[in-house]
Amino acid sequence: MALRKFSILAFLKKNFDFITGVLGEIGLTVLIMGAALAICLLLVFVKSVI
Amino acid sequence: MIPALTREDLKIIGYNLSRISYLMGGILLLPIIVAVIYREIDTIPFFLIGASLAFILGSLLNHFLETKKEMELKHAVVMVAVGWLLAPVLASIPIWLSNATASYLHASFESLSGFTGTGLTVATDIDHLSHSINFLRHFLQFVGDGIGIIVVSLSILGKTKISSVLAFKGEAKELGIRPSIVRTSRIIIGIAITFLIVGTILFAAAGIKEGLNPGTAIFDGLNHSMTGYATGGFSTRSQNLLFYHSVWVEVAAIVTMIIGALNFNLHYAILGGKRKEILKNIEVRILFFSLLALGFLVSANLIFSNLYTSPDSLFRKGIFHVISGQTTTGFQTAPPQHFMLLWPAFSMIVISIAMILGGCANSTSGGIKMVRIGILFKSIVREVRQTLLPRSAVVRGTFHNIEDTLITDTMIKGAAVIAMGYIVLFTFGTMITVAHGYSVESSMFETSSALGNVGLSSGITSPSMPFVVEVTYMFLMWAGKLEIIAVLVLMGFIILGLRKGIKK
Repeated sequence: MALRKFSILAFLKKNFDFITGVLGEIGLTVLIMGAALAICLLLVFVKSVI
Repeated sequence: MIPALTREDLKIIGYNLSRISYLMGGILLLPIIVAVIYREIDTIPFFLIGASLAFILGSLLNHFLETKKEMELKHAVVMVAVGWLLAPVLASIPIWLSNATASYLHASFESLSGFTGTGLTVATDIDHLSHSINFLRHFLQFVGDGIGIIVVSLSILGKTKISSVLAFKGEAKELGIRPSIVRTSRIIIGIAITFLIVGTILFAAAGIKEGLNPGTAIFDGLNHSMTGYATGGFSTRSQNLLFYHSVWVEVAAIVTMIIGALNFNLHYAILGGKRKEILKNIEVRILFFSLLALGFLVSANLIFSNLYTSPDSLFRKGIFHVISGQTTTGFQTAPPQHFMLLWPAFSMIVISIAMILGGCANSTSGGIKMVRIGILFKSIVREVRQTLLPRSAVVRGTFHNIEDTLITDTMIKGAAVIAMGYIVLFTFGTMITVAHGYSVESSMFETSSALGNVGLSSGITSPSMPFVVEVTYMFLMWAGKLEIIAVLVLMGFIILGLRKGIKK
């Protein structure tokens, strides 16, 4: 019965803040990784130019 | 004049320690489930002996020291300082009995390193440790550092709410998530379990992608997720994360390490819908810029010394270790000997600085903490502005950490005292290590790793390390976890007790 009543949409709606919060924190880590990778690419470029 | 502890004070402290002992007994029973799953029947007695001793000790303390008196701050500070020694001593019993380490001192080192979320290891042949003992090592980091079991033991098993609040202060945490301490503890556990699940999925998926069988990938993933979130750094492999040679495992590690280094109050705000907080928060901003600035310095040094020359190797060796160091996790993707023999001294010193700076306050990470760095930095700016402006001008400094806060002289003093304490202990540990014949940069690296509860190693920490260095690092791990003040208070009471005796 409980399974039959389960709706993914309702679950997502109810836990919207929580899910977006977790994704937001993962997004922050991706942002840091992206910026760090950009630094590495920049350094390799500078080294190749010098 | 500071009053010495009385017998009644010792009774209150001992009675509250009984709860920690009980909870440790319960914790030591959990790996039995893993032993049953992997059919490691021979390890079960080790856990039963450890748990029994913990329950017996708890019962003795409870029976002989029972008191209805409420804890005061001085009791809480001493109780937390002693509790952070008692819990690892109890947890070291199964590790020692299973011969995972060569001696009892090594077992105590391993247990303390686990409990404080440090991650320096002296275990012998980690690759062939039983699953249950390996699980215990990782689980200790998760409950000790990830959840903060000392405080949770009081809030769950304690009769009073005030005792737990005071214990938070003893652990140098100012958690104001919810007025009820029991509710706060539940939220902390809830947040930890949420990110434990997220981390396990990421690590397990990366492991399966790299060809591990699903069972091994999930076991390794669960353990690395526990130690990643707890910013502990223990691994199921003797080569740590280098074993996998996988960029996906390293990405999963970076995600869990950074999330683990964020403030619990920040997690609560973000998961509760305040998503903009992630961009406004002073600690996130300083962590972001310091990671990139230190990452730039290390990467530039590595590429111009021709050690790593491609973007991916710079990221996976240089940036990864800066993140691992500053979040105080200690996951490694390079062998310890590389740090000691190949890495330039400049990079070693920059990573040492990252390890001392640490992550966010009220998180699982160690070090001085971002908020204190922010307060000290802003206070310097305030002083400069005050000097440049007319005498009558009033310069105020504020920062945003969940809410806008005015920087007070008390805050600056507190941050400066703790930063000074770290510098003094760092100098002390480095001198002891150098005196045993290690290079200055390796000694600085290993000392900051122990003091900041990090776990990155340049090879000094090993089963054959000198006795004095091992004991020094144990002291640094303990003092670093308690942010020094609680240790000084305990020492003060011990000295007073020795000079004046224990009064009735």
